[in-house]
Amino acid sequence: MSDLVLETEKLDKIYNMSGRQIRALSDVNLKVKKGEFVSVMGPSGSGKTTLLNILGCLDKPTYGKVILDGLDVTKMPEKELYKIRRYKIGFVFQTFNLLPYLSAIENVELPMEGTGKSKEEKGKRARELLKLVGLSERENHKPHRLSAGEQQRVAIARALANNPTIILADEPTGNLDSKTGYEIVRLLGKLNIEQGTTIVMVTHDSHKAALASRMLFLSDGKLLAKEKQGTHLLKKELMCPYCGREIQPDDTFCPHCGGKLTDKEGE
Amino acid sequence: MVVALGFSVAIMLSIPAGITANQESMQRITENFSNTITTMQNEINKTATLIECSTTPSQGMQGFRFGGFYANETFIDETVMDVIRSIEGVKDVIPFLEKSSSENISETINTPFGSRTIYRPAYTIIGVCLNSSLTGNYSILPTNITAGENLSEGDSGYVLLSSNLTAYFGADIGDAVTVNGESFTVKGIFESTSQTRTVYMNITDAQRVTGLTGKISRLDVYVVDVSYATQVADTIRTTYPELYVTSYQDRLENLQNMQTMYSQTLNNAESSISQAQATATQLIVIAIAATSLIVFFVMLYSVRERTKEIGILKAIGFSNWNVMSQFMLEGVLIGLIGGVAGVIIGTIAAPFLSALLLPQLNLFGGTQRTQRPFQTTYPNIIGSQSSSAATLNPQFILLALGVAALLGALGSLYPSWRASRTSPMEALRYE
Repeated sequence: MSDLVLETEKLDKIYNMSGRQIRALSDVNLKVKKGEFVSVMGPSGSGKTTLLNILGCLDKPTYGKVILDGLDVTKMPEKELYKIRRYKIGFVFQTFNLLPYLSAIENVELPMEGTGKSKEEKGKRARELLKLVGLSERENHKPHRLSAGEQQRVAIARALANNPTIILADEPTGNLDSKTGYEIVRLLGKLNIEQGTTIVMVTHDSHKAALASRMLFLSDGKLLAKEKQGTHLLKKELMCPYCGREIQPDDTFCPHCGGKLTDKEGE
Repeated sequence: MVVALGFSVAIMLSIPAGITANQESMQRITENFSNTITTMQNEINKTATLIECSTTPSQGMQGFRFGGFYANETFIDETVMDVIRSIEGVKDVIPFLEKSSSENISETINTPFGSRTIYRPAYTIIGVCLNSSLTGNYSILPTNITAGENLSEGDSGYVLLSSNLTAYFGADIGDAVTVNGESFTVKGIFESTSQTRTVYMNITDAQRVTGLTGKISRLDVYVVDVSYATQVADTIRTTYPELYVTSYQDRLENLQNMQTMYSQTLNNAESSISQAQATATQLIVIAIAATSLIVFFVMLYSVRERTKEIGILKAIGFSNWNVMSQFMLEGVLIGLIGGVAGVIIGTIAAPFLSALLLPQLNLFGGTQRTQRPFQTTYPNIIGSQSSSAATLNPQFILLALGVAALLGALGSLYPSWRASRTSPMEALRYE
């Protein structure tokens, strides 16, 4: 058994739109290893969101398989599937999708409803997660009193609530300004390093995609053969790409040679 | 929405309360009725040898004396006693003289057309034969003396007052009272079983103060044995056609007539109640349907409004059942809120609502007034007949809340199911 947590085999998705067949995905073979931070890049309409919905068990492929943690989720009935969504997957959306009438901490506690955890346990876990995303001070604020970046941090904390196998982030920076967007991607990177969370992030922004450890390209529903290493990979291994010496995860510049560690373009 | 729901629940609440009230009063009437029959049966059996002869229709058969207007008081010469006493089988003949007082009192009564003042005699003078051989054997005098002593043989110039007359005369034991202009001493006071105001005195005194010397108004004829009753009664009837004669047989017949009449009345009432119940059941069905429909539409709207929320919940791992129970719980809560509103509205409005929605039980009122056979003779047995005031008891309120919650669940069943079946992907796209 390999260390693959997510694998797709010949994934096809065909939409039937007023008699015309649209092939949103064709023959997608994706492999994500445990602890990886993968970004999937592509222009709009290339099938990124379709792919992520299928990976997140919100949609079913027309053909092919999705194997998550060794389980073929494409064959699972709905009454089993919710458990996969609850325990194995953490979703981060472009529009945050927090419940407006719940406070930050209640939003984070939400996925733990009905898991058998006590109120204290849920509260403790939610507080830990909010601390992790840097929002300890704002746990009782409702979403409308939080900035967009803060809302996305709450959403990330919520995605982590049940300690999922994989985080699926669908354009997590799409509704944020550039600076906040980078902060969010860096937060994901930090979680990836510190918590070892496997992350698949979909984006059309090449600069942010480059912050992942591995970049994949999706075009017209097809996964291109070329892959690129992101700068994040180097950071993760705590080694400067320029001088090869040890660096800290938060460093922007190498403390030894002064090399720029994070792609700052667009900022 | 809550008010509409509240009214539905209030209707659900009031109608059964009204029905219960109707049934209770029905039961009460039936019980009273059978008690009355038993009492009367006993009474008739006890006085089997008694033949009542009166110059006016016997009380039991008398019409309703509207506003205190007494039918013409007629009298007969006391010599009839000797004739009747000579009939074979007659044991004793007891004379009475009953005459309204010459003084009147005014009384205000409320009629459907407003209140009006009427005048009626202040009291009735009853002259009794104070022969100790008669007073000792038969119930001639009132028995329930509350103060002083009863009249005894030879008492002349003494009276016995019903307790409701002491205030009128302003007199107590030993005081002097003026009856038709003549002074009498109060010897005793008795508790009147009926509401009648009576002054008992020696029959000779009575004849004198009423100016009816040698006259009587009523005779109680006792026969030696029941077997003579019919025969003696017939003889009296043919000899004195002006007398109203009632024997054991007649009284029994009257009782049977009453029984039949009352059974009919009760049957009518019962059928009117069951009719009302049928109507009420329809109304309840409508109320139930209304309640669940209100919840249904509210929840359907709510589910539509919150499609996106449902999508989010499902995307973060809520099962169909989690989503469904969430919405069901909401439906139950709406039902309960409506239930509480209903109980509040119902508590205030139940008597009015049930009066509005259910026909009132009107057994012995209205046009049947003149047929009230018990009212004059046994006024306290039937009592106030039918007041179907709907009241709510705690069990009922709990039941109503339970039903409201149940209807909330029922109404939200489909909307919740729909919510649970929403595809998360499509729901997330919904704005």
